[in-house]
Amino acid sequence: MTRGNRIFMACIYWAFVLYVFVPLILMILMGFKDSKFIGFPIRSWTLDWYTGVFNDGAVVSAFGYSIAIAVLSTLVSILVGTWIAVLLEGRKFVGRAVIFGLAVMPALVPGIISAIAFRIYARGLGIEPGMGAIIWAHAVHNVPFVVLVVMARLSTLPKSQLEAARDLGADPMVVFLRITLPYLIPAIVGASIFCLLLSFDDFVRSFFLGGYDPTLPVLIFAKLRSGMSPEINAIATVALVVTAAIGIWAERFTRRMNKDSQS
Amino acid sequence: MPSDTAQIHQRPGTSETPTFWGRMTRWTPYRALVDVIYGSPRRQFLILAIFPLIWVLTQHLGPMMQMARVSLTSAYPVAPDTETFFTLEHYMKFFGDSIFWQPFFRTLAFAFVFTFCTLIITYPVAYFLARHVSRRNQMLMLLLLLIPFWVGEIVRTYAIMILLGNTGAVNLVLKTLGLIDRPIPFMYTSFSMGVGTVYLTALYMLLPLYSALEKLPKSYNEAGADLGAGAWTRFRRITLPLTLEGIGSGCTLVFLISTGFYATPVLLGGPSTTVFAETIAGFFHVAGDQWPTGAAFATIMFLAALALTAMFQRIIKAMRKGDAR
Repeated sequence: MTRGNRIFMACIYWAFVLYVFVPLILMILMGFKDSKFIGFPIRSWTLDWYTGVFNDGAVVSAFGYSIAIAVLSTLVSILVGTWIAVLLEGRKFVGRAVIFGLAVMPALVPGIISAIAFRIYARGLGIEPGMGAIIWAHAVHNVPFVVLVVMARLSTLPKSQLEAARDLGADPMVVFLRITLPYLIPAIVGASIFCLLLSFDDFVRSFFLGGYDPTLPVLIFAKLRSGMSPEINAIATVALVVTAAIGIWAERFTRRMNKDSQS
Repeated sequence: MPSDTAQIHQRPGTSETPTFWGRMTRWTPYRALVDVIYGSPRRQFLILAIFPLIWVLTQHLGPMMQMARVSLTSAYPVAPDTETFFTLEHYMKFFGDSIFWQPFFRTLAFAFVFTFCTLIITYPVAYFLARHVSRRNQMLMLLLLLIPFWVGEIVRTYAIMILLGNTGAVNLVLKTLGLIDRPIPFMYTSFSMGVGTVYLTALYMLLPLYSALEKLPKSYNEAGADLGAGAWTRFRRITLPLTLEGIGSGCTLVFLISTGFYATPVLLGGPSTTVFAETIAGFFHVAGDQWPTGAAFATIMFLAALALTAMFQRIIKAMRKGDAR
């Protein structure tokens, strides 16, 4: 590869970085604009939109609602996903491929279709639209990611450790609790963060399964439909900072965990 | 079960202060539980398998089956004292009116074009990361791209609205440069939808492409160069065929995701770019008696998306086989 070619490729990469970051940076800047009118150029700056957001009860409660949904649905996803992964990994049985296919299916169903299917199913089960329905839909939708991440980790578990524990007289339950489970912790933490972010950011399922209380993305959507305002930028920026911070922390955490378990 | 299990968790000489695990393994109810669960390999497997089996059947398959069932019944939710019957009328409705099948084909066409655009845009980025960057920097540069993708769908869609609006950044730059007098109306067109969709899906293409390119040994290209192949020939005959699998999974993911977008077309599109997701959603915003039609339309879309991705996977497979020869 020639030098010129290489520089050209580097330019493409940095252009892509710009494409990915510039819209978000512009959106953040607009939240500090001292005018109700969305648009460039920004001539004067203010923090009023932010103080407004933190004093707006609807925004604060939507924020808490989203976080509660994310935490509860993640707990369910982790429990179910880990269980399915432990069943599927390293075992051969009739119907394994079918169970695996079904286990990852919710992740592949296009968003609107999965939201509609959950809506109809919840109605059939008599679940009213609201918090419970959203938690359930998010939990089911996120299970596949847990299954895949935990299975990948489980496949690298050294069998010798299990055998050693058995030789020392541990019963299968103790082997699972003291060898397998601790080994899975990095995968479980990584998958939890991923599920938390997916749930916190999810719009389409929350929108179709929600009751009167909006989650944060649903609230932003509703506000956007009635017109753009720097207030929305301030809300969106808060959501952005929270998700990006959790994401970066998780990335560092999983990297450190992987390093530790390798050495 | 060996009867000396309990003792094993105590070190000799410390038997007076048993550990938590030691106490647990000697606790009678626990021992009974272990005996029940691990009584025989067969029983152990059944206890392990029964919950996942029930879960995937009722929670993963159930909603889809229920949707298909509702799409074939005459009315849902069922009003008291009424009979429902099997019918195909909701599927017939789809073919009967162009306001239904036009958004359907538009959605598929958009998804195709946007998927292709995502591929063209992200392939060079993935190539650069995998082939021209040192291992250490690779992770950092990949992480840099990951950060914006943790941000939610709605927030990123809004960012695109601000970028492309009439008083947005792009129009401001063009105006300052003197290229235009009046702002170009980017928003509420298929263009703004395309920019938004690519923006939201790029990562799902980038990661499979990156991992495929990263696995490809550099020596293959060097061997090609030694045998006199030019840069383009090497790309066409070596790199491209060997990363087909990554291209296949990236395109499948992006296609499925972009057919399912609802908020993005609502916010970025206009009346001339109505997609099928909006059509389907319409049946659920009004009174309940439209649900079977909405279910039928969602089923049509799901089957179409499945059929197209299956077809695509076959093409990729055939291409890989053709290259192996």
